[in-house]
Amino acid sequence: MLPATLDDVKVLDLSQGLAGPICAKILADFGADVVKVEPPAGDAARSMAPHFGNDSHPEKSLIFLLANLNKRGVRLNLDDPDGRELLRQMARTSDIVVESFEPGYLASLGLDYAALARENPGLILISITPFGQTGPYSAYQSEEIVTYALSGIMSISGMAKREPLKHGGMQSQYEGGLSGAVGALAALYARDVLGEGQHVDVSLHDVVASTLVIHQPMYGWVGAVQGRRQPSGNSYGQVQRCKDGYFIWQTGGGADWNDIAEFFGPEALKEERFSTVAGRAVHGEDLDRLVIEATRDRTMQELFRTASEKYHMLFGVVQEPADLAQCPHLDARDFFQEVDHPVIGRIKVPFRLWSMPDAPAVYRRPAPLLGQHNTEVFGDLLGLDACRMATLAAKGVI
Amino acid sequence: MIRMAKKPLEGIRVIDSSYVFAGPYATGLLGDLGAEVIKIEGPSRPDFTRGGAFSGLLPDNEARSDPWNRMSTFNLVNRGKKSLVVDLARKEGREVLIDLIKVSDVIVENFTPRVMRGWGLDYPNMKKINPGIVMVSNTGYGRGGPYSDYPAQATTQEATHGLAAVTGYRGGEPSKAGQSYVDFLAAWACASAALLGLRYRRRFGRGLWADIGMYQLGCYNVSEYVLDSIANGAPGERIGNRHRQFAPQGCYRCAGSDAWCALSVRDDAEWGALCGVIGQPELAGDQRYSTAAARRANHDAIDAIIARWTATVNKIEAMERLQAAGVAAGAVLDGRDLHFDPQLKARGLVEMVRFPAEREMGPCRPIIGRPWKFSAMPLALRDPAPTFGQHNREVLREILGYDESRCAALEGAGIIVDKPVKAREVPNMSMDQRVAIGRLAYWDADYKERLGIA
Repeated sequence: MLPATLDDVKVLDLSQGLAGPICAKILADFGADVVKVEPPAGDAARSMAPHFGNDSHPEKSLIFLLANLNKRGVRLNLDDPDGRELLRQMARTSDIVVESFEPGYLASLGLDYAALARENPGLILISITPFGQTGPYSAYQSEEIVTYALSGIMSISGMAKREPLKHGGMQSQYEGGLSGAVGALAALYARDVLGEGQHVDVSLHDVVASTLVIHQPMYGWVGAVQGRRQPSGNSYGQVQRCKDGYFIWQTGGGADWNDIAEFFGPEALKEERFSTVAGRAVHGEDLDRLVIEATRDRTMQELFRTASEKYHMLFGVVQEPADLAQCPHLDARDFFQEVDHPVIGRIKVPFRLWSMPDAPAVYRRPAPLLGQHNTEVFGDLLGLDACRMATLAAKGVI
Repeated sequence: MIRMAKKPLEGIRVIDSSYVFAGPYATGLLGDLGAEVIKIEGPSRPDFTRGGAFSGLLPDNEARSDPWNRMSTFNLVNRGKKSLVVDLARKEGREVLIDLIKVSDVIVENFTPRVMRGWGLDYPNMKKINPGIVMVSNTGYGRGGPYSDYPAQATTQEATHGLAAVTGYRGGEPSKAGQSYVDFLAAWACASAALLGLRYRRRFGRGLWADIGMYQLGCYNVSEYVLDSIANGAPGERIGNRHRQFAPQGCYRCAGSDAWCALSVRDDAEWGALCGVIGQPELAGDQRYSTAAARRANHDAIDAIIARWTATVNKIEAMERLQAAGVAAGAVLDGRDLHFDPQLKARGLVEMVRFPAEREMGPCRPIIGRPWKFSAMPLALRDPAPTFGQHNREVLREILGYDESRCAALEGAGIIVDKPVKAREVPNMSMDQRVAIGRLAYWDADYKERLGIA
């Protein structure tokens, strides 16, 4: 058994949805013992689509399954003083707590960082919320599209003449989870070497805005502001249609212009006017036409393989979710994990973010059922006896 | 509140031999955390952010004599680093790198697997040079697997990793959005892997190798679609700015030039609140819109109703009035707005980087810091990004202990240089021309006054 980098780290995951849970899942993947603490009604992710079999059963949420692999789970009512006391006890022996409540909620329960750290000075608290703990928007309501709008990224996404366009799915949530893991690991390393715990405040608004490394500094360098895409004249670098789908190509990689012209085929592409960046910008419409005619009867897979293998071009094809589910490269990279889930059954789940052969992400257990490990955690960890647990259960605390 | 006396990565030396965004941004962030970061470039292979499509713009659009040191994106991503320029294509150059590896803790690189193997610097060899080294390799597809040797970069991968299929106007074609999306996932993955590796080394006494493939990171971020396909055979979808459950959701034109406000209504109560804000409270009880299912079915009609109201207010007012009523709403901020938004200002996301006078960059420029606030270790930008080869002598003499004659020999042979042999193209175009051809939306000649950096 290889040593796990975080097998000495205990984590309480109070977070819900996707961002906080993914942060805690990354810690679990590298060995941390993560206990997910859900409210009586369960994590909000349990009601988020999609569900297995399109059945909105709380144990069939695919997002919950994805983001909570490798965790044990308890159900705990923090609105009850006994519930809060149990949480305090768990936090006393934890290294990291991850949470995503509205700012101020934990303080209203007497469970904010200052209170928790009084009893456990080395504790690290990771808060991942739409706008962070401070600032005039911290109490604002948010949703993926709102984070995207305020981060600046929508102003450069989509067509100039149309409305700004959001990325598909829930990108800010995944970005917050991954970026939050950097914050958690930095705080953990700081504690290892300097001995102190701390509160790490992660704002999804900041996270998404921090990706604008081309866009943002243009203003402070020369007052320039980029907009959205013009309708024509820059075909390459945009998605185009072929026989059975769509592709996208760029100059660069290991290909010079002659390679690219040869790959597409038409003699006219070898004309001098297409061989420079400036020339391609000016003659963009002609370029579009030649490329589209030359690829009309070619398939995505053939284009992708030929461009990449023979011409060393920067080339992509629009893969659908079903293509990713069967992707030979993802299989070769051990991206998917076969999971045996007590309600869903056996299912393949995206799992491994990257490879680290000497200390890999290791799969240990499926996502927990709601309250699945109450006895194990409250009994073994906190030492509650069966009678006390029965009383708390009858009161609706656990 | 406790303040730590030091930054956590003080004393850690990081070699950044990566290019463009992912590795460089990751090591920039490790530098913010206190690490000494040495950026390595080749004499005829300056970083791609020193000129060309990814490099941004020049200060006041002026190239001067060293445009490669002046580009905006380079200076953001590479803040706080030292610069060593050494020709790794030559054996004597690789010897410099090997000596540096011996006294470093982390190396982040994005060479193709073939190049690293050819130089004898793949991980099996790397750990013979320094068993404690944490090596982070970031490539398009990672090592192993059928696409491993395919050239890759964020723009084309955005299609291949599945994001373009679910991005685009409703009913329209797949689309790419934003800029170099997957690079930033890779930046955080590289930083996470480096921190995990450093902790692993503290505990177990040896380094490790992280093999990051950007494709895999991008694919992970459309997992709910992949799972829906696996579990339910569901196809992908392009629903533009709409939401599969919540309605209405969209981005609506406001009063002003290219002004927009996004909003999302997640339940019936929020719908009622929105109806109140737009002055049509009677719509709250209207059967055509009273449930989420009904609102999804009549989304076009609702869009028209909302757009009639947003057209009468500016984007900030729209956001503030909706938020005051508890409706999730946000103005679409552009590149200028990012510098003046009260939330981002209060959080201090954008920081000023100060340049010495001889750089002729102006006294300071605003750049993005980092998206975390650490209560016990407030971080701030350290030094500006280095000029090309700025720290050649410092690295060779002070870190590697080379004597004067060895340094001079390396310089004389063109193995160590401080000026690119082949600079990357910096387009010579006026700001007005850039606006005219649609590369920019607009520019403010008085931006320094607005930013208070005049």
